[in-house]
Amino acid sequence: MNLIFVFHDLLANIKGWLRSPGTVFWTILFPILLILIFGAIFSTGDEIELDLVVQDHDESLISKEFVGTLKNISGLNVIVLDKEKDPREYMQDEDKSALLAIPKGLNTTLIEYIETQFTPTEQFDDTINFILYVNPSDQTTISILRSIINSVIYKFNMNITGGQSIFGINEESSITEDFGYIDFFLPGIIGFTIMTSCIYGSIERNTKFRKDGILRKLLTMPITRSEWILSKMLFMLFLSFISTSVILIFGILVWQISIKINLFVILLIIATSFLFSGIGMIIGRFVKEQETADMAGGAITFPMMFLAGTFFPLDQMPDFLQSIAQVLPLYYVNEGMRNAMIYGDFDKTLYFTGFVLVFSAIFFIIGVFLTKWDED
Amino acid sequence: MVDKTVRCPNCGRIMTCFGNPGEVIKITCSSCYLEGKVTFKKTFQSKNIAIEVTNLKKKYDNLVAVNNISFKIKKGEIFAFLGPNGAGKTTTVEMIESIRQPTAGNIWIDGKDIKTSFNDVKEKISILPQEFHSFEKLTVKETLVYFSKIYKKKADINNIINAMDLKDEEKKYYKDLSGGLKQRVGVAISLVNDPDIVFLDEPTTGLDPKSRREVWEVIASLRDRGKTVFLTTHYMEEAEYLADHIAIIHKGKIIAEGTLDELIYKYGDESILRIQKSSSKKTANILKENGFNAYTEGNGDIAVKIKYKERILEILSILKHECIEYENIDIRRSNLEEIFLKITGSKLLENGE
Repeated sequence: MNLIFVFHDLLANIKGWLRSPGTVFWTILFPILLILIFGAIFSTGDEIELDLVVQDHDESLISKEFVGTLKNISGLNVIVLDKEKDPREYMQDEDKSALLAIPKGLNTTLIEYIETQFTPTEQFDDTINFILYVNPSDQTTISILRSIINSVIYKFNMNITGGQSIFGINEESSITEDFGYIDFFLPGIIGFTIMTSCIYGSIERNTKFRKDGILRKLLTMPITRSEWILSKMLFMLFLSFISTSVILIFGILVWQISIKINLFVILLIIATSFLFSGIGMIIGRFVKEQETADMAGGAITFPMMFLAGTFFPLDQMPDFLQSIAQVLPLYYVNEGMRNAMIYGDFDKTLYFTGFVLVFSAIFFIIGVFLTKWDED
Repeated sequence: MVDKTVRCPNCGRIMTCFGNPGEVIKITCSSCYLEGKVTFKKTFQSKNIAIEVTNLKKKYDNLVAVNNISFKIKKGEIFAFLGPNGAGKTTTVEMIESIRQPTAGNIWIDGKDIKTSFNDVKEKISILPQEFHSFEKLTVKETLVYFSKIYKKKADINNIINAMDLKDEEKKYYKDLSGGLKQRVGVAISLVNDPDIVFLDEPTTGLDPKSRREVWEVIASLRDRGKTVFLTTHYMEEAEYLADHIAIIHKGKIIAEGTLDELIYKYGDESILRIQKSSSKKTANILKENGFNAYTEGNGDIAVKIKYKERILEILSILKHECIEYENIDIRRSNLEEIFLKITGSKLLENGE
């Protein structure tokens, strides 16, 4: 075995790696980014507090004790809601993941059970159910709350009956339609796909075309920057609509997702394409080498896709990360898409679409302004 | 400077002399010493100038990439800008193409100042940048059509394909072409608007000798089509083969300029004319008596040191006059490489260094 060659080949590979900034970045910084982002998202350095809204329709000693037990659980923030309020409306208005309604008749059922204990010939078969209203798009939070509530109910059953379940739980969706995780996830994928294709497409135009001499040739031809940018933007829109259509078709065929196609969806696709093309142009203006520009593109797209609520809801992240999301364009794109095509919430759609339009105008105008073909 | 061959009206001696258009020079016959005048007609006119550059300079911080150069390019000629890598060739041509802004100086293309009127000349010019790489997934024909759509004036694409001998490749993707074919396509692209002026920046760099020769023929055909060609190169033989006019640039300055003959005449060493198997043993002496530096070599050939072309016809005239026969005449003259070495003190290598 020629170990001398093995050593020198290893040395040559290391030299090549050290001399490639993009590769060094992805080898070293990528895992650091992963650790920082996911660690910040999922760390429990500061304990995450989950909100649980409770509506007591019984207002008895037993119901108050139940609420008190919930309040004593650390990490659970119990919000008591007036029994007159509509639970679904409250959950939508306040953006809450879960609401537990303590049914009227809880105390009555308990008394009836106790009375049957003094009558050996009588069997008690009744069950009274708590109602847990859930936001189906927030499965992670709901699963945690569900297990907490179930354990409290189980504890009450055990303490009172020693085993027989007289208290139960039913679940209902807080939204009239039944949404799952895929309804949350699909619009995020659309936003993410448009983001990556537009940013990297813009970078390629500025770097590869410069290196290939195409920009130099264009500068000497009777074509304006506006004409060039317009044709490229039309191509980006073409790609955006193609990828969006493919994602939607698969969502419908495979998961039977109910999609609403309206003017806001079209507007969001167009505005998102302009927004991220503008960001790509800005990157390409300052970073002329393709490898380094791709790296810069990755440094922007990678954290954004995790921090902007693409794959999971923001309320599962620490507060400071949720604050960061508020300044990320992709967050507004994702939420705009969700509300426009899935939830059908007009007010929220308008709100988020407005932000996307403003972001797209700002970044695209800056990108066009900064785009230069000449070498100086 | 232009050259003119004249015959002495007294003794019939043929002489070659050099002068500028519009100039009248005095000459003396080297044989009978008859004095006379030679008039060089003024053929140069400003309307015949395709590109004019005056006092062009480009400075980056402490580096002067192009240092106060001036030159003119006539319409219909191939003008070669010759020099090593880093000499300032591409910087100069990029300033003419308005891709870089000069630090100082003026540039006119077709009589128009490009600082203010570059848009007016865009339809008339075309460039092939250094290491140009077109769109990989378009066919040859699609590529030519794409670029032609940008211009108002369009040449016939099929004619270009035939002229560039690309008929067999017109349906192939650009990415599947060899290096030589890609360069040929690059030249074809530069013809889609039937331009008056074509800029070719190092068009044969990286090509094998066969491909390079093929591209030379293509470039030479541009002149036949009446185009003005501004060619930058670091290949001596390319400039020698193609150029009507050569400017040698070194460290940002033009160190020599002229036709190949002029450069050799001015900077080159004496050429050697060899007369092989002369019928007379007195050939060398006869030539010496006529003022030539002639000597007999070991193999019996007669070697005559001359400035290229100047007195070749004289020598042939003398041999004919003296009824001296010979088997062959061989001329070895100075070339650009020797001239470059003489002026700069360094060689210009194949890789442009």
